[in-house]
Amino acid sequence: MIIAEQKPLDEIKSMIADYQKVLILGCGTCVTICFAGGEKEVGILASALRMATRLDGQDKEFIEATVQRQCEYEFNEEVADLVKEADVVLSLACGIGVQTMNEQFPEKLTLPGLNTKFLGQPTEQGVWDERCLACGDCVLYKTGGICPIARCSKSLLNGPCGGSQNGKCEINPEVDCAWQLIYDRLKALGKLDLMMEVKSPKDWSASHAGGPGKIVREDLRL
Amino acid sequence: MKSDSNLEKVLSAGHFAVTAELGPPKNADPEVVRKKARMLKGCADAFNVTDGQTAVVRMASWAACLIQKEEGLDPIVQMTCRDRNRIALQMDVLGAAALGINNILCLSGDHMSFGNHPESKGVYDIDSIQLVKMVKDMRDEKKFQCGEEMKVEPRLFIGAAANPFADPFDYRPYRLAKKVAAGADFIQTQIVFNVPKFREYMKRVCDLGLHEKVYILAGVAPIKSSGAARYMASQVPGMDVPQEFVDRMVAAIKGIPSPKSIADPEKKKEVRRRRREAWQAEGIKICAEIIQQVREIPGVAGVHIMAIEWEEAVHEIVSQAGLLPRPTV
Amino acid sequence: MNRDENTPGISPMEEMSPPCQVACPLHTDVRGYVAAIARGDFEAAYAIAREPNPLIYVCSHVCAHPCEEECRRGQVDEPVAIAALKRFAAERHDLSLGHGPPKPNVEPKEQKVAIIGAGPAGLTAAYDLARMGYPVTVFEALPEPGGMLRVGLPKYRLPREIIDVDIKGILEADVEIKTNVCIGRDMTLSDLKEQGYEAIFIAIGAQQSRALRIEGMDLDGVLLGVDFLRDVNQGRAVKLGRRVLVIGGGNVAVDVARSAVRQGRPGSEKEVHMICLESREEMPAHEWEIIEAQREGIILHPSLGPKRILGRDGKVVGLETIVCSSVFDSEGRFNPTFVPDSESVIEGDTIILAIGQASDLSFLRPEDGIELTRRRTIKVDPQTLATTAPGIFAGGEVTTGPGSVVGSMALGRRAAISIDTYLRGEDLTGLQFGEWRELDDLPPKTVERIKPLAREPMPMLPLEERAFNYEEVELGYTLAMAMRAAHRCLTCGGGAYVDTGKCAACLTCVRVCPYDVPIIKEGAAFIDPTECQACGVCASECPAKAITMKLYSEDQLYQEIDALFADAPAENPEPLIVGFCCLYCAYAADEWAESVRAQLPPNVRTLDVVCTSRIDIQHLLRAFELGADGVFVAGCVGDECRHTEKAANRIQGKVQFVKEVLDQVGIGSERLSLYDIPSAEWGTVPRIAQEMTERIRALGPNPL
Ligand SMILES: Cc1cc2nc3c(=O)[nH]c(=O)nc-3n(C[C@H](O)[C@H](O)[C@H](O)COP(=O)(O)OP(=O)(O)OC[C@H]3O[C@@H](n4cnc5c(N)ncnc54)[C@H](O)[C@@H]3O)c2cc1C
Ligand code: SF4
Ligand code: SF4
Ligand code: SF4
Repeated sequence: MIIAEQKPLDEIKSMIADYQKVLILGCGTCVTICFAGGEKEVGILASALRMATRLDGQDKEFIEATVQRQCEYEFNEEVADLVKEADVVLSLACGIGVQTMNEQFPEKLTLPGLNTKFLGQPTEQGVWDERCLACGDCVLYKTGGICPIARCSKSLLNGPCGGSQNGKCEINPEVDCAWQLIYDRLKALGKLDLMMEVKSPKDWSASHAGGPGKIVREDLRL
Repeated sequence: MKSDSNLEKVLSAGHFAVTAELGPPKNADPEVVRKKARMLKGCADAFNVTDGQTAVVRMASWAACLIQKEEGLDPIVQMTCRDRNRIALQMDVLGAAALGINNILCLSGDHMSFGNHPESKGVYDIDSIQLVKMVKDMRDEKKFQCGEEMKVEPRLFIGAAANPFADPFDYRPYRLAKKVAAGADFIQTQIVFNVPKFREYMKRVCDLGLHEKVYILAGVAPIKSSGAARYMASQVPGMDVPQEFVDRMVAAIKGIPSPKSIADPEKKKEVRRRRREAWQAEGIKICAEIIQQVREIPGVAGVHIMAIEWEEAVHEIVSQAGLLPRPTV
Repeated sequence: MNRDENTPGISPMEEMSPPCQVACPLHTDVRGYVAAIARGDFEAAYAIAREPNPLIYVCSHVCAHPCEEECRRGQVDEPVAIAALKRFAAERHDLSLGHGPPKPNVEPKEQKVAIIGAGPAGLTAAYDLARMGYPVTVFEALPEPGGMLRVGLPKYRLPREIIDVDIKGILEADVEIKTNVCIGRDMTLSDLKEQGYEAIFIAIGAQQSRALRIEGMDLDGVLLGVDFLRDVNQGRAVKLGRRVLVIGGGNVAVDVARSAVRQGRPGSEKEVHMICLESREEMPAHEWEIIEAQREGIILHPSLGPKRILGRDGKVVGLETIVCSSVFDSEGRFNPTFVPDSESVIEGDTIILAIGQASDLSFLRPEDGIELTRRRTIKVDPQTLATTAPGIFAGGEVTTGPGSVVGSMALGRRAAISIDTYLRGEDLTGLQFGEWRELDDLPPKTVERIKPLAREPMPMLPLEERAFNYEEVELGYTLAMAMRAAHRCLTCGGGAYVDTGKCAACLTCVRVCPYDVPIIKEGAAFIDPTECQACGVCASECPAKAITMKLYSEDQLYQEIDALFADAPAENPEPLIVGFCCLYCAYAADEWAESVRAQLPPNVRTLDVVCTSRIDIQHLLRAFELGADGVFVAGCVGDECRHTEKAANRIQGKVQFVKEVLDQVGIGSERLSLYDIPSAEWGTVPRIAQEMTERIRALGPNPL
């Protein structure tokens, strides 16, 4: 799922500086699960902003709401009245939700309250790890189900590089070396031969490198 | 011959080859390169210029190579995948070859987070093995990576790096095999301090028959001080410095008082100098010894001396190792 | 009188009621009042306990408390001391606030109702009907109302002023009680009808002792238990000999025996024996009653049947007994078998029979049209309590045979509803009383994780102070005891409920619950109320705010925080400190909150929470938003927690988070502190308050 985290309060404060009535709009899906933008986080941020802006001598009003999925018009429609009422919307959705709001309510600016970080897995309560780069050309079948594109700092296809040490990546002893993981997994699976072939350069055009992604399913269109 | 490389000639003539590193400056002053080139001339058969080592901005490798070439050296241009996509890499390969550079060392490159621009966006379009293959195809097939053909190919002697001390140890010889399969002509390894471990590595490499397909140059480096020895032993990942060498560096300055205990600035300076000289002498000695040891290891075709920011030491090392004068072929 | 309103959108399982409430014939919201005591809100506790119970004071002393038998805490160690806690709440109640809820605003009704018998059944029916607006008259044969409470129950268990308190409350509800009117002797049922009573409720109880058909019953020195107690209770002289033999093994027999012990004057030598058919283990009296009886010197002779009473010169000299090998037959019917040739004699000069009570139905005439059962009780429809005569209802011991106060009251209540239905001209046969859905037993995995907590013993009058007087034996809980006792309640079914429409299935609740209750079912969290221990961790952590605590919700805590600031002076020379204190540990010791709180300076205001795991990040922020200069949380952080370490530790993460927010906001993290107070250090709250005050004074006021 999409993993995000809240922007620093100061940055949010400066974004909303020119507005009096702010609708803080959460999203009930990914960002709820990663404790960045669900109903609870909306409440916490509203409380923090009420205090912070009052300390700055401003008299702002904060409206709180959360929709089920901010990347869909139908769900956002439920808060159309609140959007109208507010001077600006501070979205606690991922970048997709923020853009949906801007598109759907063009007369109102929607600001991002979160930094959308990556596609990841909640590996334990309070910990999220990047797992996929949406490269558009999945290689997991060649790498024992561990993604070298997202999890190797250099996205190597013929890793591990010389920086792999004790199973960790050269960039940080906290980061697992993806290729060590791949090696171990393939070894366990008896498929080390997959590590012997020289893998050709990746076709990055399937990813964002090929321009903004788009999928159209004619069969599904109405 | 695949190229006009002096290194290739030395190696194919069966000589024990020596290469050395020439660090480019963090500015646009060509004199730095020239001075180092003059100092190094005659000490080795070819000279590597690093490409943004540890992701710190320095003079472009190809440019410093050109300067040393003007001084009559045989340069090895280092090229990493960190900063260039396959388009830029191929353009630089063509350019370097056109400038008369005969050797290339293909690398993945240290990650941006080490350097002085950690905010930069890494490229890593292809990896080092793919780079080796790409250059080889350009040279031998006259083909760009996309398959398009070219008229005049870059005639480069293709090198790659290997770190025998990185993990997983068991896989390292196979990764080397991949580089060979991709088309590497020579290999320069990470600095060897732990000779027994390197010997074990080389044994596995020879078992795979790789030494017959590629020239392997063992990386060596002089230690500057006991502090440096300790630092490399404990702090630098992938660097395996046996305790023995740390102890020897400490013993080297035995009998010289600590500068901290001396008040008179003149005397202090003097003591500092004596310590430095004692350390350097020992560091060079160890390095020469290691060269002699690795020379005995089957499959080792030469050494690559990385006297980082201490190019002055190279002459003494090569001389102590009995590798002077360098052959002319 | 189901207090479980069904909130839409919330899991239907919510209708499951705790077994204590189901077991209580009046369906008292036990969980509710015990929880209120646990939180120190004693008046709320009284109000909850009083709502269904006009004889709350009486019940708080003598209720047979079937609730405790069902209490799920009993699966872990021992049941919650539900009855003792009710007594505590009643004793703490300020009667100047009134006895019970004010009379509802109803249309006064015309139709008069007569009630025969001012025992628990009659009084409850009268109270309920009066509150519905009916003019109600209770006819009582005895000089004072109360029924068996007055003339049966011994005073050492039920002081008479206790009864008077409840009677007063009932009278205040506009119930008219006519004493010294015996129906059958002074008036007949038809007289009542003629006087315009449109409905009659017969609640005459079972006031007669059953006799034995054995030789020697006519001897001098043979007494009937109920008569004996009535005489004692009404202060009439009772002549007992030196060796008193009480026949019977039930609660009434114990009351008789223990009263016999008390009769006489200091120095008079007396021995009291109890002889019963049942074995010691089978004795129907409550175990604690039997133990007290033994402590008071009563000698038990179980498994013996009375064969004949031996006499000399017309006076009792002993009882011949025979060994009883079993009381009930294989089908569970009363059918004692005796061991042949096992006769023996117990010497004694007084014999009191306490083998059961029956109703005196002699006042009924054939023309009344009231049929009886084979057990010589009045025959009624079990749902509506209607007798075979139209407009005449009956309930209490007159229909059930010997029972309990609360059981009789429940029938009084039922009768009131039926009579109202009848008088409104509605079809009685349509009247249905709902079934209660009960929470299942705790599953073994949950029992395993609940920390055992010893039941608080009831303080008792020392043995030597009981002799020859009727001072009450059970003394009631002190405040500290009541707190400890109340904290044992598992708040069954009062815990977490998921709004599945909001749940994002994030698994947080699944992971944080110290009892492993939540699961994801059909795409949303499901919290089985059978298992939930109402610790509140999940609700305070749920990022979708999909979880509500049924009892003591997050919103209630917000309201309490707001209330703290309601009267805060605008200009305060001292910093305003808000403390969130865990009731389980921050105060958990002899003196508890009251005295601890009394030591707090006025600038420090505390909020008592049931476990710090209930506190949520926004609660802490709220206190600052409202202007607190400093906030502290006091509770145990580690394994002391009433729940588990896992629950207790969560507060650390929350406090850390709020500190970061405070720094970002510009209020400063040093204004929030977490104090780890294991229960042994309960007294430290005032010290913490002082320390906080000084520290915050130095920091200056909340910049807000
Ligand atoms: C010794 C003893 C101890 C007990 N201890 C407990 C205990 O600890 N806890 C508990 O829960 N239960 C206890 N009980 C049982 C409890 O007292 C009864 O279940 C309860 O009182 C029954 O209530 P009732 O209203 O049905 O009848 P009663 O309480 O018997 O009331 C009936 C009333 O009707 C009156 N009456 C009878 N005939 C007429 C008439 N013809 N005209 C006018 N008035 C009439 C009687 O004088 C009496 O006041 C005890 C009973 C006894 C005998
Ligand atoms: S633990 Fe509390 S709620 Fe549960 S049955 Fe016992 S008294 Fe009732
Ligand atoms: S914590 Fe809340 S949102 Fe998450 S699974 Fe539980 S109920 Fe659903
Ligand atoms: S966390 Fe506590 S309140 Fe929530 S389900 Fe578990 S026991 Fe119940």
